[in-house]
Amino acid sequence: MSEALSYFTMAWFDLGLLGLTALGTFAGIYIGAIPGLSVTMAVSILVSFTFGWEVNQALALIVGIYIGGVYGGSRSAILLNIPGAPSSVATAFDGYPLAKRGEAGRAIGLSTVMSVIGGLIGVLVLASAAPIIGNLALKFAPRDYFLIAGIGLLLVGSLAQGSLAKGIFAAALGAIIGMVGMDPVTAEGRFTLGNINLMGGIHYVVVMIGLFGVAEALGMLHNMGVAPVKQKVDKIIPSFAMVMKFLPLSIRTSLMGTIIGVLPGVGGDIAALMAYDHAKRSVKKPTRPFGEGAYEGLVAPETANSSAVGGAYVPMLTLGMPGDAVTAVIIGALVIHGLNPGPMLMVENPHIFWFTVGNLALANIFLLVFGLMGIKLFAKLVEIPKAMLIPLILVLCTVGTYSINSSMMEVFWMLGFGIAGYFLKTFGFQMGPIILGVILGPLMDTSYRQAMSSVGDDPLAFLASLFTNPLSLILTTGLVLILLSNTPLMGLIKKRRAAVA
Amino acid sequence: MIKKILAGITLGAAAAGLVLPAHAEYPQRNIQAVVPWGAGGATDIVMRSLIPHVEKELGGKFIINNRTGGTGVIGSNYVLTQRPDGHTVLLAAENAQLYPLLGLAEFDYGDFHTINIIGQNAAVIAAPADSPYNSMAELLAAAKDKPSTLRMGVTGAGGLPGSVHAMIEAVDDLKVREVTFAGDGPGITAMLGGHLDFMPLSLIAAKEMITSGKLKGLAVVSAEENPALPGVAPITDALPEMKKFLPWGPFWGVWVRQDTPDEAKQKLSEAFAKAVAKDEFQSFLTKMGALPLNLSGDEAKQYLDRWQSVTTWSLYEAGATQTSPEGLGIPKP
Repeated sequence: MSEALSYFTMAWFDLGLLGLTALGTFAGIYIGAIPGLSVTMAVSILVSFTFGWEVNQALALIVGIYIGGVYGGSRSAILLNIPGAPSSVATAFDGYPLAKRGEAGRAIGLSTVMSVIGGLIGVLVLASAAPIIGNLALKFAPRDYFLIAGIGLLLVGSLAQGSLAKGIFAAALGAIIGMVGMDPVTAEGRFTLGNINLMGGIHYVVVMIGLFGVAEALGMLHNMGVAPVKQKVDKIIPSFAMVMKFLPLSIRTSLMGTIIGVLPGVGGDIAALMAYDHAKRSVKKPTRPFGEGAYEGLVAPETANSSAVGGAYVPMLTLGMPGDAVTAVIIGALVIHGLNPGPMLMVENPHIFWFTVGNLALANIFLLVFGLMGIKLFAKLVEIPKAMLIPLILVLCTVGTYSINSSMMEVFWMLGFGIAGYFLKTFGFQMGPIILGVILGPLMDTSYRQAMSSVGDDPLAFLASLFTNPLSLILTTGLVLILLSNTPLMGLIKKRRAAVA
Repeated sequence: MIKKILAGITLGAAAAGLVLPAHAEYPQRNIQAVVPWGAGGATDIVMRSLIPHVEKELGGKFIINNRTGGTGVIGSNYVLTQRPDGHTVLLAAENAQLYPLLGLAEFDYGDFHTINIIGQNAAVIAAPADSPYNSMAELLAAAKDKPSTLRMGVTGAGGLPGSVHAMIEAVDDLKVREVTFAGDGPGITAMLGGHLDFMPLSLIAAKEMITSGKLKGLAVVSAEENPALPGVAPITDALPEMKKFLPWGPFWGVWVRQDTPDEAKQKLSEAFAKAVAKDEFQSFLTKMGALPLNLSGDEAKQYLDRWQSVTTWSLYEAGATQTSPEGLGIPKP
């Protein structure tokens, strides 16, 4: 026990490690805020960079970047309606309306505190129950991933503001964009028009930057003359009472985020969207209607995407299997540093587990400090004249897209999606459901085919498997309930109950 | 005035242009190293451990660029479209040798100049720890008893599991349900949860899982035991006929465009050969269960040709592909 504690506090009392964690967190916030620059990218560059370092130093810096980077995406989502990463897409739904009301500072303050709460809950779960949850995550069969993707796609119901039909259209469009590229089973090209450059598909971040960044910039051209909203920069740090008020919600969404983060192949992006949906369903009286600047709509995704980080470390530390793209790179870094990431990692190198847990906790504390610093300055970003802001956004979008794969072709795609997104927006289509489709379409496609081939391509056996396995049964029930709650049937039941009462 | 300045600039540029080729030695700038596989994967890990040694030998800097997608087609094709000046190199694995057969692309490594074949990895057939099958023979017997019920993990067309399965099918019967995963990692995760009955894996991905007892090694795809995985029988114990395909395994290498200047080719070959030979890197490879090769020139070419011939013909004979390797000019092994 005392050994664990000494590993836990290793980075807390070592000035070098402390400094590296702080540096990582600080840099991570700004890397994460720029759309296209991702944590995965930053960490993989660091792996070569830290080749000659001691492994603990490299890990401290990486943990900092990871925690800072996941949070950083919320900055641009709130201030500019351009999520810095797919995991911040849901943050923009209520974060940007808050900025438009002149509450950008307060929104950033709240999202900082909530990210830290989510992050710490994720770390707590990691520290207390990693082996148990790690084993639970393994129980998820392909059919369960299929069901999760199905539940996720039903979020369209709450993401589509206004017309549900348009929402479904948008999600289907997203799913088709996600299908472009090589068929995962047969390696046949799908929607590639015979072009070799499309074999790898369209990177979903490219779609996201176009739809949110460029489309937003083009939309701004409509109100060049309108003076920007004056930002209130008082009461940036949320009051204790406010944090307490949202605590029940934030605990629920943090646990959701952690569990989804543990599952390999699904991560913070889906966690944040599901948490947003959960808030929308469970909070009866939000501060304002969702989509118009409800604090709850900010609390849910921000806690969920940060807690998913702790979750992603669970399979990595217990089994040596990555929980997401970032932990995959970290595993690579451990190999290069001569460790054997695998089921024996915790036995052979017991310090790695508690060192990482301690470091994650530390990085969250630094996040609280750095996140609340300089908010006033950031909030002023919204007040920049449009004539300067629009070119700035376009430059950021281009640089960010180019940096993903150093490909000009992806820049053109991004611009194309931007223009398409602008028209879609003009005709009342939402961007959220498109991104949802891009993320979930491929997951649903592969997991459905895995599930089908597992039962010998027998549709009846596949259907039966959805009900006979306890875990699948729970998910199937959830799916059916959500589906029913979106139909007029549920309204009838509610009305009848109300009449009886 | 302006004319004078312009003339001066032109003269200066011309002078510089005349002087540069004589003095400038390769590499003149950073070298872009394209890895067509994702960060954190086996190929990426091997390359990131090797490159710092190469940088010391060559006296230049490499920028690693993960250009993923299409079983490596995107990244490899990108290198083929860059200027052939030796400042773009491809750090990749065996996949391109199967592109023409699978119809993924028209090129293979014959269209590149091979700088180095770094090493070869081994393949192992793994099953969950609580699997009822303890050997390759038991697995084959079970598959014959109930054909097309065992769930085998594969990684899509041209992936290692498919190639190993094809070789087995070429000499024996192993009818299964193929379940496709995005790579070794997701496949292992599914196997740990009991959602697959077995999967041919690269040793580098499976080693830790097998030595820790989370997975069971049924056979290594080689004619003798692998020192990195003691106690796991060679596949030839159950399938002696497999011998004709062996030694076989996925490999890693370094390529540049065919028409790269000789100076760059030579300097790169020397630097990579020295870097791969470093004790530090050699022990890194062996620790991961890989076999260091360090081949270049004719040796590398022979290695690539043999690998392509063995793999494509067994895929064809197992019925995994309709295209005949003969039509592509690949001789029978």
